[in-house]
Amino acid sequence: MTLTWLGRVALYICFVGSIGGVIEQIVALRHRRASRALWWAGLSLAGIVAAIAVMEFALVTHNFSLAYVAENNATFTPLLYSITGMWSALEGSLMLWVLLQSLVTLGVLFYYRRDAADAVVRWAGLILFSIGGFFTLIMMGPADPFIHNAALVHQGAGPNALLQDNPLVAIHPPLLYLGFVGFSVPFAFAIAMLITGRVQDRWPLEQRRWTVLAWGSLSLGIVLGAWWSYQVLGWGGFWGWDPVENAALLPWLTATAYIHSVIVQDRRGLFRVWNLSLAVATFALTILGTFFTRSGVLVSVHAFSSSTLGPILIGFFFVIVVVGAGLLAWRGDRLRARVGVDHPLSREGLFVANNILFVGFAIVVLLGTVFPLLYQAINGTQVTVGTPYFASVAAPVAVVLLLLMAIAPLVSWRSADAKVLWERTRVSAWAGVVAVVLLLIFGVRRPAEVVAVFLSVLAAGAALRTLRGALVAAIRRGAWRSVLRAPATGGMIVHLGVVILALGIVTSTTYVRRAEVTLASGQSTVVDGQLVRFMGFHAVSDALRSATQLKVSVDGHELRPAVTTYHGRGGTTVGTPAIDSNLARDVYVTFDAVGGNGSTSGAQVQNNLPAGSVVLGVTVEPLLAWLWLGGLTIGLGSALSFFRRRYGDEASK
Amino acid sequence: MTILRSFALWCVAFVAVVTFAVVLNPHGSNASARIAHLETLVRCPSCDDLSVAVSNATSAIAVRHEIATKVHAGQSDNKILTSLESAYGTSILLSPPTSGLGLLLWIVPLFGLLILIASAIRLTRRR
Amino acid sequence: MKRSVMVSALTAMVVVVALSLFLATRHPVGGATNTQSPLLGKMAPVVSGARLGGGSPLNIKDDRGKVIVVNFWASWCGPCVTEAPNLSTFAWQERNRGVVVVGVVFDDTVSAAQAFAAHYGSLYPSVIDPGGVITNRYGVTSPPTTFIINAKGVVVATLIGPVSTRQLEVAVAKVKA
Repeated sequence: MTLTWLGRVALYICFVGSIGGVIEQIVALRHRRASRALWWAGLSLAGIVAAIAVMEFALVTHNFSLAYVAENNATFTPLLYSITGMWSALEGSLMLWVLLQSLVTLGVLFYYRRDAADAVVRWAGLILFSIGGFFTLIMMGPADPFIHNAALVHQGAGPNALLQDNPLVAIHPPLLYLGFVGFSVPFAFAIAMLITGRVQDRWPLEQRRWTVLAWGSLSLGIVLGAWWSYQVLGWGGFWGWDPVENAALLPWLTATAYIHSVIVQDRRGLFRVWNLSLAVATFALTILGTFFTRSGVLVSVHAFSSSTLGPILIGFFFVIVVVGAGLLAWRGDRLRARVGVDHPLSREGLFVANNILFVGFAIVVLLGTVFPLLYQAINGTQVTVGTPYFASVAAPVAVVLLLLMAIAPLVSWRSADAKVLWERTRVSAWAGVVAVVLLLIFGVRRPAEVVAVFLSVLAAGAALRTLRGALVAAIRRGAWRSVLRAPATGGMIVHLGVVILALGIVTSTTYVRRAEVTLASGQSTVVDGQLVRFMGFHAVSDALRSATQLKVSVDGHELRPAVTTYHGRGGTTVGTPAIDSNLARDVYVTFDAVGGNGSTSGAQVQNNLPAGSVVLGVTVEPLLAWLWLGGLTIGLGSALSFFRRRYGDEASK
Repeated sequence: MTILRSFALWCVAFVAVVTFAVVLNPHGSNASARIAHLETLVRCPSCDDLSVAVSNATSAIAVRHEIATKVHAGQSDNKILTSLESAYGTSILLSPPTSGLGLLLWIVPLFGLLILIASAIRLTRRR
Repeated sequence: MKRSVMVSALTAMVVVVALSLFLATRHPVGGATNTQSPLLGKMAPVVSGARLGGGSPLNIKDDRGKVIVVNFWASWCGPCVTEAPNLSTFAWQERNRGVVVVGVVFDDTVSAAQAFAAHYGSLYPSVIDPGGVITNRYGVTSPPTTFIINAKGVVVATLIGPVSTRQLEVAVAKVKA
């Protein structure tokens, strides 16, 4: 019982910290006196850290007096997966969320401590405290992580099999949540600016660094999530347009629009209402995303178990949107800039198109995700909205976005001079044509691939040209290293990352080759130019799992696809794929079936095949590794952008 | 060379290459291409959102076999999809029927496109 | 109409309110998927054996003439926990309406199965399946799997995943029709 009470008291302390912070900010706003918000934020952080310490202690020592530990841990769970078990189920994941939220709140209040008297900072702090308080409140009620386990259990169920066979479980959730939580900051400041009516000050510009941090984390988190699914789910794919995946994509889409749109506000003071709306929308979509993930309303392999949280989370989403939209309706018209966009093909005009595309695509993805629910409510039957639909909408959007990436960095502000634009894009345009000719000569002819390569060359060309310009300017000033902190450098590197990612996605999906091969021990076969040889079985058994591995060699490298049974009360059996990866192609091998009459491996049995032979699923995907490379580049670019200089800081382009 | 001329030259090259690409591209309406395409449109019955093209579950293999048999028997794509729908229910298709409520899924993106075009026109007019 | 932020904001608000209300009233999925199984349209294989918890042996042949719902479950299976109350509710509801529910214990120990049935108050009999013979005949790869057999003894539906009471009602109504 002690652990339960320790944990709960820690959560109460965290809640008191949040509520105290809210009250403190209200009082400070009304009476215009100094605010002790920093202390309350510290208290809140201390509370959640203590709660997490209690939970981690219980997990690492396999203390089953907590029901959460009994359900997500076992005595033989390795240390890493005991630690990550904290966020492997619903209640614990909320603790991770509150931890990051408390850290962010404290960080923001500390960063602006010299402006603590500013009404905008006070309102923003108030909102950040409220968000933290809301999630803590959920954990004190419906999603209590510290429920006592009355039964005397000697062994727990262990984590979900798919959450304990890959170390990415330690990185993906924290990064993803950092992204989600990070977007509460622009949101809080947007609301604060609307309430106080002060949109013209430095505050919108201040948000840039926080937004880049959140966006970078979210992007990396999503790419790592795709990589993780790719490695464990067994179908060789990395994105299924699954409701939970879409839930993370939606805020990313509006956040990307936001990150671009604030550039225009920074340079020309336009798009103020767009930016405030995008900040509200991004955070609202984050909450909607947690609803999809935790309410059980939509079926997903990534969802946490269904619970009663659905109505509560939707209620929060509702409040956020009503408050945000209400404030915008009230103040919005007064905030619009006097000037407008001069020409649709000017830099600003292209950013308008960018905003519309990203927001439009987000709306379509949201519609596709909730459509099965709508259909069932109206027609009573079930439908599925899957990859064919989303891909058909995503493809044209991607084409236009690549085009925008190819043109916008080279277009001037305020005006559109076609001659100048052609001058700047000419080299990339010719390079694109040459690339297409080369592709056609070498037999790469599918339209999707050809179009993707052409546009990628153009987009990369624009990015490289901009980078070259910044580098030349930096060299001329005698400080070439300063190019790393030039305004556009981070962004252009992100664009290059996106191009690499796009090429990886299009090539791996257009030229994927799947085969089911049956091999007896010692036999080999060729799939799409890759030599696959099966060499025999190998049984592995330790405290954590028993697995039947297959000794397979692909192109000379040894792989061990397996069927693994994780011990624990559940005893689930999952397939463990094996991947041979290089920059040119990935070969994805799964142990699909074994011949003969029976097997202790847990694999499917095919009686018509001789015993000792196996059926392997072999999928060859060219350029798949480019996805992860692209993701890494995007992360690098975001980091550079975080540290970049402000516009007025030196005489740059 | 003037700007205009250099752009025109590039356009000619571009159009030539595009024509070349279109002409060279094999139009796969043979049986295996049809089967592959149909497989991406049908959901694996025991999975949530994987198509039978990518899933190796027993039920997916069974459906793949069924599609291949029907294609070789000469049935049209539409007939094959409809027969699968009647055996498993509408949710077996990965894209909802475009009639009725399903039309909404296509109207909304088109509407978005219209907004994009309209805003571009409005910006041009305002000058 | 002059483009106004207030109008767009209010429109967005209305749409979101509608969406929120809609989503708030959705129920979590308890769905089983209707699957194509090789048994569909064929005579149902034999389900007979010792009754869980003791008592006379059970054979579904004795219930020929009624609609039979055969549910494969195990004490270690999570979704079986979800569907256990639904099956019992349904069994009780239909007990005088020509529908019979029979469980088959899938790959489990007798003691664990008995504890599960007792804990979840199972209102229908279950058959122990030593050696997994019945499981094999039905081609069940993982619980929970439910088969609906019509009055003539032919398998008419296979549901994989946890069933809800509503799903059972709909499936059985189709059979009786």
